[in-house]
Amino acid sequence: MPKHPSSGKYAIIGLGVVAGPQPDRSERMIAAECARLAIADAGLTRDDIGGAIDLRRTGGGGDRASYSDTFTRVLGTKNNFYFTMGRGGALAGLGIAAAMSYLDRGIADHVLLMGAVTDWSQSQVSRKKGFRGMAHTEKRGYWGKPLGDSRAASHHSWMAARHMAVYGTTSRQLGAIAVAERAWANLNPEAKMHGRPMTVEDHQNSPIIADPYHLLDLSQVSDGGIAFVLTTAERARDRPKPPVYVLGQGFGEVSRDLWWEKKNFTHMAVEPAKSQAFGQAGLTLDDVDCAQLYDCFTGEVLLQLEDYGWCKKGEGGAFVESGAIGPGGSIPVNTSGGLLSCYHLGDLTGLAESVRQLRGEAGERQIKDCNVVLTTGHGGELVSPGMCSIHTSTLLGRHA
Amino acid sequence: MTAEPHVLTVTDEWKKPWPSIDQDNEAFWDGLKDHKLLVWKCKDCGAVYWPKAYCQHHENQPFAGNCEWVEASGRGRIFAFNIHHMAFHPGFREELPYHYALVELDEGPLISSQLVGDNLPSDIHSVGQQVEIVYEDHPNEGFTLPKFRILEG
Repeated sequence: MPKHPSSGKYAIIGLGVVAGPQPDRSERMIAAECARLAIADAGLTRDDIGGAIDLRRTGGGGDRASYSDTFTRVLGTKNNFYFTMGRGGALAGLGIAAAMSYLDRGIADHVLLMGAVTDWSQSQVSRKKGFRGMAHTEKRGYWGKPLGDSRAASHHSWMAARHMAVYGTTSRQLGAIAVAERAWANLNPEAKMHGRPMTVEDHQNSPIIADPYHLLDLSQVSDGGIAFVLTTAERARDRPKPPVYVLGQGFGEVSRDLWWEKKNFTHMAVEPAKSQAFGQAGLTLDDVDCAQLYDCFTGEVLLQLEDYGWCKKGEGGAFVESGAIGPGGSIPVNTSGGLLSCYHLGDLTGLAESVRQLRGEAGERQIKDCNVVLTTGHGGELVSPGMCSIHTSTLLGRHA
Repeated sequence: MTAEPHVLTVTDEWKKPWPSIDQDNEAFWDGLKDHKLLVWKCKDCGAVYWPKAYCQHHENQPFAGNCEWVEASGRGRIFAFNIHHMAFHPGFREELPYHYALVELDEGPLISSQLVGDNLPSDIHSVGQQVEIVYEDHPNEGFTLPKFRILEG
C-alpha cells in the first residue's frame, strides 16, 4: 500500500516520565518536571520549545483556572502557543494530530505535549469523606448519577456485561486480560504492580465492585506525568535518542450511534480509526509488533482485540485465554502493564511504552525487532446510556 | 401497561447526587412528576429518541422543532445490567448490593436506571427480561426518579 505523504514526516524525540505516588507535589510541579525531563531527553533546552499542549481529560471544559498558572510558566519555556486538549483517555492521540499541524506550518520547531494527574493523592483525601475511587474527577450531572451509576466502573462494566450476554464471554476470560497485563508489569520495575504476580484465581477472588467487574478488572488510580517532544523528521535526525516516527493516525467517534443504533456496547469506534491510520502508514495488522490498547477496564481490551481483527467478534475471550496477549504471545498487548497494572495516565501510558519499545529501552520486556507499535486512546463524555465515544489510533515506527 | 403506574414515595432526606435538569430535559422531568415517561418523537417520520436529539433520518426544523415529547409505554427489556457491590458515593451505601440496568424501551431508545422489586436477575449473561417503569417520588425535593421493576410472567 502506498504511504500518505505525512507518514514518517514527524517524530517523537524526547520522553519524560514521572511515575508513582507524589503526595507532596502539586500537579503543575509534576507537569513541569516531566516536561523538563522530556526536553533534556531530546537534547534541547527550554528555549527550543515553540509550543506546548496540556493534555487533560476534561480538555477545555472545566480546568480553566490552570491557565493562570500553567506548567509552561513554572518551567519557563518560550512557547508561542499553549492550550489544553483531550477527551477522557484520548490525549496523546489528539495532541499529536494538533502538534503536527503547527510543525507543518513552521509555527513551532518543537512542540511539547504533557499530561499530568494527581488522582492517587486526591483519592486518599476523598476516601476520608466516604467517596471511593476518583468520584471527584467526574463532572456532576450525567444521567445516571442520582440513580446509582456513580462511576466509570459502573457504566463501563455494561460493555463487558453486554459482550457476556451476547457472546457468552466469562469473567475468567476478562481475568485472563488482567493476568496477562500483570505478567508484563512484573517485567517493568516502573509499574505500580511490579513484584505482585497474579493468577486468574486471584482475579476471581478479588472483591466484586460492579458485577461483572471485580477489583482486578479496574485500572490503577495514579499520580504522575508524561511529556514528549514532537518535531519534524529532518530535525529528529541529529538528536541523541533514536527518533520514533508517526506513521499514521486515525480517529473514530460513535456519538451518533450512541442511543439509537446501540452499537457501542460490544464495539468501539475502531473501524474508521484503523483504516485511516493503517492506510496512511501503508501497513497491515501483521506489521504491528506490539499494541498498547487503551485499558481503563479489561472489557475495552477485549473489544479492541476483536475490532482490530486479531480475532473475530465474539471470540476475544478464547483468544485472551490462549495466552496470545501476554509475554511470549502472538500479539503482545500493554507491555508496560498498561493502565491495569502499570499506571493510569490516559493514553500517555501506552504512548510512553511505545516510545520505549521502539527505542529498544524496554529492558526485560523488550519486544525483539520492534519496528511498529499501535497505541490507542478512548474516552468521551460520561452520559449514560451513552458511553465513551472517541477512539484514537496512532501507529509509531522505528523507521520513517 | 397497568392502569395505575407503580409509585414509590420516599420522604427521607436526599443524600445522593442531584439530577441535572436543564432546558433540554425539563419537560421530561416534569413528565416524571406526572408519572409519565416521555420520549422524544419526530412528527415527520415517527422516529423515537431519548434523550432529546435532532432526527437522524432527514433534515430538521430549527432547534429540532419537528420533534416533540410524547408519552411512552414505560415498558422495555433489559439490554445489559450490573450489580453494584461497592458504593462509590456514600449515598448508595445502604442499598448495596443494587442492580443497575440499561433498558431498551419498547419504543426503541436505551435508558438506564436502577432495578427495584423482586425477581431480579443474578446472572450477567441473562438479559431480555421485560421491565416496567416505577416512579419514585421525592416530594420534599420536588422530583421523581424513573426506576424499573421486572414484569412477572
